[in-house]
Amino acid sequence: MNIQFGLETEAGITRENPENIDVVAESINLVRSAITPGVRMCWDYSLEDPHVDARGFRAKELLQDSDEANYFAQDAQRTLSFTEIKSDLVLKNGARFYNDHAHPEYCTPECSTLLELLQQDWAGDSILMACVKAVNELNPKNPVRLYKNNTDFQGHSYGCHENYLISRGIPWEYLNEAMQAFLVTRQIFTGAGKYAWEEEDRYLGAGFQISQRSDFFSELQSIDTMQRRPIINTRDEPHANPKKYRRFHVIVGDSNLAPYANYLKVGTTALVLDLLTRGLSLDLFPKLADPLKAMKDISRDPKWKWECDLKSGASTAVAVQREYLKLVRAHGDVWLPQWKPVLDVWEKTLNDLERDPLSTSDRLDWSAKYKLIEQFRTSEKVATDDPHLMSLDLAYHELDKERGLFYGLLDGGAMTSPFPMERIKSTGINAPLTTRAAVRGLCIEKFGPLVESAQWDYILIRGEKRRIKLSLLDLFSSDAVAQTVAFIQGVETVDQLSKLPFAKSLS
Amino acid sequence: MPDPNQKPRPAIPNPGGGGGGSEPHEPQVERPNTDDLLKRMKKVDPDQAKRYRQRTGE
Repeated sequence: MNIQFGLETEAGITRENPENIDVVAESINLVRSAITPGVRMCWDYSLEDPHVDARGFRAKELLQDSDEANYFAQDAQRTLSFTEIKSDLVLKNGARFYNDHAHPEYCTPECSTLLELLQQDWAGDSILMACVKAVNELNPKNPVRLYKNNTDFQGHSYGCHENYLISRGIPWEYLNEAMQAFLVTRQIFTGAGKYAWEEEDRYLGAGFQISQRSDFFSELQSIDTMQRRPIINTRDEPHANPKKYRRFHVIVGDSNLAPYANYLKVGTTALVLDLLTRGLSLDLFPKLADPLKAMKDISRDPKWKWECDLKSGASTAVAVQREYLKLVRAHGDVWLPQWKPVLDVWEKTLNDLERDPLSTSDRLDWSAKYKLIEQFRTSEKVATDDPHLMSLDLAYHELDKERGLFYGLLDGGAMTSPFPMERIKSTGINAPLTTRAAVRGLCIEKFGPLVESAQWDYILIRGEKRRIKLSLLDLFSSDAVAQTVAFIQGVETVDQLSKLPFAKSLS
Repeated sequence: MPDPNQKPRPAIPNPGGGGGGSEPHEPQVERPNTDDLLKRMKKVDPDQAKRYRQRTGE
């Protein structure tokens, strides 16, 4: 099994007293306060085209285009240039950190193991927290608050997208059909929990549900990501050789703080995507009768039975997940050391969710949040429709180790982890050594001031005699990555990079 | 700059070693420190969410 993955997480930002704040300015200011080693404002936007659709055409427009144009017009009134507003920072761990309209966004580098993923996600949270500290030292009277969540409870959602590098050989419609029921039902373990019901641009009412994001999906598949969001996103930007690869862009997931929730979210999705390379009949995969209805019904079910209708009859989210688990056990690379533990945790968690959902509060965000807040609500006699519950919900996600409720649970020993936390924290701001991120990160670290531009799939560096463009379009073998890293470590000048087989000398 | 003597890790490290990648186990302490958490929760401004407004993102 050879699959690589990463996360892109938008954070919510405000100040303790948010009256009259400009969230865009706050986000720009926060990103620009980063002191993590990296190269600023070298990101190449010219290669990005979110209009290319995986179904084989280019969309004329996205639903968000008019909003984007309005934002662009508003931003034009600022004294900063477009590049300064974005304030992109390519970090020495190969990650990207920038202002995405009004949210600080951290994109992990490419990872090939789940340990790497948790390490890089933790590194991102640490970078964000360091920025908060730096900003608040300048203005301690009205400190910035940052939240790793997905909503403001008023119908404005922001995402945690997952990216999976998969073979272009998987037919798109096969992928679409096979993945829908999986993505709709996995929220029983990926959900981060929410004390509100919403729809786009509107608060609907009080009530707990297991997912932050499920209120915001109203299409089966489309290219959009900001309005009328789809269960299956068709954006086709592989950031790799487009003849060989796809980047499957998953936008339905919640931002997870719990290590096990992140591990299960990415681990089970990677395993199911790998199944699609086995040529199995589409008939073997569960099909929901109405995926969009199931998405909301499952999230909002107060009994946590998560009943849903398959085209073949009545079922539950747990049973649907068990179908996928059974397929993976029968046809997947279950003997590989990295993946067998994922299957075991997946099975145990499904069993626990069916037997006693709150028994998963040591590993899942939604049940940890619910158990904690319900204990408080009962003891403090807070009504079930009191907005105080939304404030406590928000506090669960605060990226502050002294204030965030999740960190209180973690530090108090109430949350478990698939890897020792010290191992997750130990990598610091260093790239995974198994993916092309190691090459990007090393170039940033070694030649930083000479880096002229970068994208996920290339880096352009200025030498004494020429500029060298390293194409990373096909660099997905860990052996090739290791050889390249060893070579770059040995060179003394940028010009020597021209000897790499994927280097191109430019004038 | 990375330590040149540091060898790249194998392509697929085994998370099963060293206590990683295992099934969920009991929390690391018998009783989580609920006093500290209660203090944190009591410090939360009940109206914080009412004032929290964001722009739609992706």
